[in-house]
Amino acid sequence: MPLPRRLPWDWWDGLVPESAVLDDECHVESSYQFLLDRSEPPYGVRVHRGASVHGLTAFDVGPEGVVTFGAYSVTNGTQFVCDEEISVGCCSMLGWNAVIMDNRRVPTDPLLRRAVLESVAFSRPRRLLGNAETAPVHIGSNVWIGFDAVVMPGVTVGDGAVVGARSVVWADVEPYSVVVGNPARLVRHLSVDERAGVLTPFGRRPYSQALQPLR
Amino acid sequence: MSDQSSGWADGRVPSNVRVGRGSVITGPDAFKRFRTTRDPGLVIGANCTMDLTHFSFQPDGEVTIGDWCVFASVVLMCEERITIGSHVAIGWNTYVMDADFHPLEPVQRLADVFAISPVGAAQQLPRPVVPTGPVVIEDDVWIGPGCMVFKGVRIGAGSFVEPGSVLTASVPPRSRVVGNPAQVVGAV
Repeated sequence: MPLPRRLPWDWWDGLVPESAVLDDECHVESSYQFLLDRSEPPYGVRVHRGASVHGLTAFDVGPEGVVTFGAYSVTNGTQFVCDEEISVGCCSMLGWNAVIMDNRRVPTDPLLRRAVLESVAFSRPRRLLGNAETAPVHIGSNVWIGFDAVVMPGVTVGDGAVVGARSVVWADVEPYSVVVGNPARLVRHLSVDERAGVLTPFGRRPYSQALQPLR
Repeated sequence: MSDQSSGWADGRVPSNVRVGRGSVITGPDAFKRFRTTRDPGLVIGANCTMDLTHFSFQPDGEVTIGDWCVFASVVLMCEERITIGSHVAIGWNTYVMDADFHPLEPVQRLADVFAISPVGAAQQLPRPVVPTGPVVIEDDVWIGPGCMVFKGVRIGAGSFVEPGSVLTASVPPRSRVVGNPAQVVGAV
């Protein structure tokens, strides 16, 4: 069952749009996060069970865009700029004020860009109407993205990877690796004990099986 | 405290905060994540200006700030201890933190994510312990906008941290610091 369209704890006097599908066991702090959401049903933003979307997170989603935010993932203040597809897996953490974009919203060619910027003045509401090239972004499960990091269009971040604070990720990130800097570069691999126990809301499970009930 | 919010903060200063004469705290988020149970958990000296500053403290966090400091949109994230001297200026959107707040190791990290989820919190799942390292910012330090100061860092007195620097290691007094990761490039 989806959450009510007006969130009972909301500090902003607004409504969660129809195109946002929120699980009844997720936490979405405010309808303010959907101020830039122009997506259309069946869904543009989907937040799964146990996920938390805090603070000034912004779903800047165009009419064709789809953002899925997986079970138990958590974010605070991430900017999702989406005109095609951004997917976040289960149990991933996206740091404060990270930016995840599947397009740049404006063409790279200066003359085309000029035309797009001029069109903003005639749009209601005044917004960049994404007609830039898009490339889907996929963030895996158990990923940790640091403060203020930027993930560029077309990037896939593998399961269990860590992206350091202020990194700018231009290329795919291998599973269980740590990348930092601009452009983000590999600094180490993380070892993982697949048999180690993890305390989950559905009991203690080995790491290799902890995410299975969520997929 | 002048509260500029139209929103969720109730505009009051928590009882375990000591604020010196002539100091001002503004902004709706100042104590939104002020969870410390220490008394005092936050001590601000005299004549400080804490503009839109966010005091995000965990239950054992303790922060001391001297006199005549000016902070603009700073996020102080404290698990254990942050000590800031007098005449310290910190620019917009700078984060100062004395822990990484989540484990790096994937298995522990997964347990942490479950514990902080609404479902896990309702079940009171325990959070893994994360390493901390007290942060010290000495007197007369200037930190530009968009910087990060990580756990265990000590910034020597009079140092000048250029905008956008990411400090992962301590720097001696009167250093000029720049870059990600930050390097000492000269003296002031």
